[in-house]
Amino acid sequence: MIAFHQVTYTYPGASVPILRDVNLRIPSGALALVTGPSGAGKSTLLRCINGLVPHFSGGVFHGQVDVAGLDPVRASPRQVSQSVGFVFQDPESQFVFDAVEDEIAFALENAAIPFAEMHARVAEVLELLGLTRLRSRPLDSLSGGEQQRVAIAAALALRPSILVLDEPTSQLDPKGAEDVLQALERLQRLQGLTVVLAEHRLERILPFADLLVHVENQQVIAGPPRQVLARIALNPPLVRLGKALGWEPLPLTVEESRPFVAKMAFQPAPQTRKSMPEDGPTAPVLQAKALSFSYGSELVLEDANLELSGGEILGLMGGNGVGKSTLLRCLVGLLRPSRGAVTLYGKDTAPLGVADICLQVGYLPQDPNALLFADSVLEELRITLRNHHLPVREDFLLEFLGRIGLANLAAQYPRDLSVGERQRVALGAVTISLPKVVLLDEPTRGLDYASKAVLLKILQEWRQSGKAILLVTHDVEFAAMACDRVAIMEKGRVVQVGQTARMLRGRPLFAPQIVQLFPDTDWLTASDVLRACGKDGRV
Amino acid sequence: MINTWAWCGWLLAGLVALSLTRNPTYLVIIFLSITLVSTVLVRRAGARRGFFSPLYFLGFICLTASLFNALTSHFGNTILFAIPGQIPLLSGAVTLEAMTYGALNGLVLSGLFVIFMVFNQALPARALVRLIPRAFSPLAVVISIAVTFIPATRRELELIREAQAVRGHRVRGVRDALPLFMPLLVGGLERAFQLAEAMTARGFGGEGEAAAHAFRGRFAMLAGLLLILAGWLLKLVTGSSPLWAGILITAGAALILAVFVLISSRSVSTTYQTESWSVRDGIVLAGAALVLVVFLVPSISPWHFMQNYNPYPQITLPSFNPWAGCAILGLLLPAFLVVSVSK
Amino acid sequence: MEMRNRWLSIAIYTVSIGLGVLTFVYPFILPGAVGAQSMSTAHASETPLLYVLLLTLCLGVLLYEVQGEAVKTRQVALLGVLVAIDSVLRFVDIAIPGPGGFSPIFFLIILTGVVFGGRFGFLMGALTLFVSALITGGVGPWLPGQMFTAGWTGMCAALCRPVIEGLHLSGKKTEIWLLMGVGAFWGLAFGAIMNLWAWPFMVGPVDQYWAPGVGLQDTLRRYGVYYLATSLAWDLSRSVGNVLLIGIFGAPTLKALRRFERRLVFWYETPGQDEKQPELLGEKI
Repeated sequence: MIAFHQVTYTYPGASVPILRDVNLRIPSGALALVTGPSGAGKSTLLRCINGLVPHFSGGVFHGQVDVAGLDPVRASPRQVSQSVGFVFQDPESQFVFDAVEDEIAFALENAAIPFAEMHARVAEVLELLGLTRLRSRPLDSLSGGEQQRVAIAAALALRPSILVLDEPTSQLDPKGAEDVLQALERLQRLQGLTVVLAEHRLERILPFADLLVHVENQQVIAGPPRQVLARIALNPPLVRLGKALGWEPLPLTVEESRPFVAKMAFQPAPQTRKSMPEDGPTAPVLQAKALSFSYGSELVLEDANLELSGGEILGLMGGNGVGKSTLLRCLVGLLRPSRGAVTLYGKDTAPLGVADICLQVGYLPQDPNALLFADSVLEELRITLRNHHLPVREDFLLEFLGRIGLANLAAQYPRDLSVGERQRVALGAVTISLPKVVLLDEPTRGLDYASKAVLLKILQEWRQSGKAILLVTHDVEFAAMACDRVAIMEKGRVVQVGQTARMLRGRPLFAPQIVQLFPDTDWLTASDVLRACGKDGRV
Repeated sequence: MINTWAWCGWLLAGLVALSLTRNPTYLVIIFLSITLVSTVLVRRAGARRGFFSPLYFLGFICLTASLFNALTSHFGNTILFAIPGQIPLLSGAVTLEAMTYGALNGLVLSGLFVIFMVFNQALPARALVRLIPRAFSPLAVVISIAVTFIPATRRELELIREAQAVRGHRVRGVRDALPLFMPLLVGGLERAFQLAEAMTARGFGGEGEAAAHAFRGRFAMLAGLLLILAGWLLKLVTGSSPLWAGILITAGAALILAVFVLISSRSVSTTYQTESWSVRDGIVLAGAALVLVVFLVPSISPWHFMQNYNPYPQITLPSFNPWAGCAILGLLLPAFLVVSVSK
Repeated sequence: MEMRNRWLSIAIYTVSIGLGVLTFVYPFILPGAVGAQSMSTAHASETPLLYVLLLTLCLGVLLYEVQGEAVKTRQVALLGVLVAIDSVLRFVDIAIPGPGGFSPIFFLIILTGVVFGGRFGFLMGALTLFVSALITGGVGPWLPGQMFTAGWTGMCAALCRPVIEGLHLSGKKTEIWLLMGVGAFWGLAFGAIMNLWAWPFMVGPVDQYWAPGVGLQDTLRRYGVYYLATSLAWDLSRSVGNVLLIGIFGAPTLKALRRFERRLVFWYETPGQDEKQPELLGEKI
């Protein structure tokens, strides 16, 4: 049982508390889902449970926290670790060792558990998480989902009664995320663990949550999911639809929504969603022709073809390891294909160097942190301009920042910004040379809804101005909102390309919630449905 | 796989053997045994070469050392030729004794090099980390973290290189390494912070041992160091190796080691991984023990006067005791017992 | 209690470092001291390996002493990550021809010592050498000597801290010049010390070739030749390399490290309980 009494906390150096007079009760054995905009205090709330706030972070802490009878502020983190297990967002940054077993045993070693018992516990926890066949593997040979499950196992080694997870799936691909969430749900059900979980993407876990805790503006709203969802603005598509159409009780899953949909009287009229030019595709700006590429002996790309035209957003989707990132890297010149060619405006890019190609093709890598090292946002932009030997004009820079929503952050240290802001700084740094083509590799990882909305707006503005945009993503909801066309890759080839609605409908793995609900229409987002239906559910 | 401690015993035996004899016959047997073990390990790990590279190395080192000594040290009775003139160090007689002495030195050096090469080949980084006494457990954790993070850091560097290339960065000189290094450093620091959080959440965070206990231990170590210092100064001042100097030094060293052992045994945390012992490890240790006995117990063994060999002042043929030679082959045992090598 | 502890610390540092220096310097002192009496001894008792053993003991004591302060989780994590980065630097091709003894590891050791203190600098140096030896299979009798000397590099860099703070040089060009000087000195010193260490291995047991004339002067002369022939060029390139790297990377690295250090100085207050003392990550030596 976890209880917060009038908790107020201020980070060191901050002028305003991040949490003020928070009261919260999480009953034993419940699965509590914590949501809220980035930076609102979700992580802070979670860290209050195991004492990392304030022991690790410093600052000023008022109020009382009760965790299964312990006071984490008075008790040492070592004591609390026996009752509370904590899992962090990035699996690799949590590991001290590089072997699965050693990592799990780390907590046991610190607690001086006797040798004989250690082995039994390690085996038990491996079994619990379905990791037994991976037990002697080195950690960096595991996938993200497997690594995160090892992190959970390591947190559970001391048999705590509470498990806290801070955005555990945001760095993972959908399959990995699915595995982790299923494991959590099973743990909670079978072991009676109290699970407290912070997430941005609520769709998957919402049906299993007993309690929804929303953190915003220093305040916390907690209660059964439907009640809390009715009061807050952050909503997954189904919930948004349900609220707008007045469905009661608010449906959380596709299944729950079907009865309401059946009652809706409408004619699914084909909609042209966006102002796409009907007069055929324009000439392709960037083309991949029969690309083949191997890492050593492993064939990653095989006869891959792709065409990207100006004024469109093309989504590139596919399972893990099919070669999406490799294709992007070939397009931008970081990798040289063994066969085939990449053409930009009709000319082969093979004789060009990466720097020359990137003058005209902006590429945002998966980890934008690898780009950032300057003292201010403006300086990051200047560095790119200097690299390309382009003139640096301050007024131009400020105006550019304004267009990507960073005008008021111009002098900030980029690495101190939030995930969404950092990503936009990186995006600015690669597009400051005003390329006509932009490639983005998994830009929505770890972003909350608000940041995704800002990113979407930027991409849509660019599309209007005629840029060609290629977007690699796992996030079907974002693809549904952003892309005009979608290309699907499988085993190193692009197997299908077409209008977004048609592509996403045809494949159950890639279907957003709205598509699952309305399979005979070409509606992809809640906005589409609402536009067609009007508020009363009639056409 | 042979137990780590067995390898340590083997290493100790080899080092003692190399330090305590200058007799070329024994040195050659030692060197060949070690080289064979090295060859076996290298072949098992999959590489083709193995036997001849240490030999080439030996040849090179012996030649260099021999030349160096011959040209700079002008003692000995068998003069080969003389360098005329007044060149500060070089002129004087070049003697066979000096060359031999240099070559012997080279032989010992090569032996040292190859024996450590074997040690490195046989034991992966993890096994060596496990050897660290528990008195140093926080440092062992630091080392574990470093070893774990090195592959991730290299991958990160590659990603950074790509990311910077994509914004037009070209690497032409040292200055251009800055955009590669800085994200690596800052990313690493951020990672360290997250790692520290994760470790704290799992109960790491020594509150430190009791202060008084630590004080006593450190005081004892200081005393040990002072004993060693005293013994050494005694030796230097009196000029020879009297018994007292040796006793003082040994006592000091023993004291320090005892303190470490004591502190290790009092350490709170337990260890998960332990290695098992098998018959093979016993055999290796037995071979090592045999070598140690031969070299360290002069009063018992009748071979003591044959270990040493001095080419000065007049070069002679070295003596050779076949029993001693066979005993030294104890160093060869691991070559037959290594089944697999893991890294 | 605190005074007693401090004095003990100082004593341990002095004696262990002094003893360490002695192991490096003995081959020059010993011939004169040993004299003619030890000729044709039954055993080669002055084997250099014994002195490596003694050096290892000193190193162990010093490491234990320094470790006492570094048990906090944050320091452990920080040290682990920095050692990893430095070890990667040791093998990464920094796209310049790295002549001779050029080694990119020292500049980070020096800068870390300046920001986080002597103890941290010592551990940074010693453990970087240790971990990179583990990874590349470079464990050998030279390792304790390398660890000791690299540790000294980090520790001495911290000696600049009072100067930097006293003259308010933090963030200015002069600070970088000062550190470049440190880098130049230690580039040469590291090589010279490791040469001293290797000398007895090259020459062989000292008491074996006693003859009239092998006194301190001759030994020094032979060492001089040895140094010039093998090591000077190497050490010069290391020295120049350090100067270059500190000059180019010094300012941004210091800024990044200091920014991080500020994040780790914290105190927390829970009204109604006792206020905790400020916990500093970096310490004075």
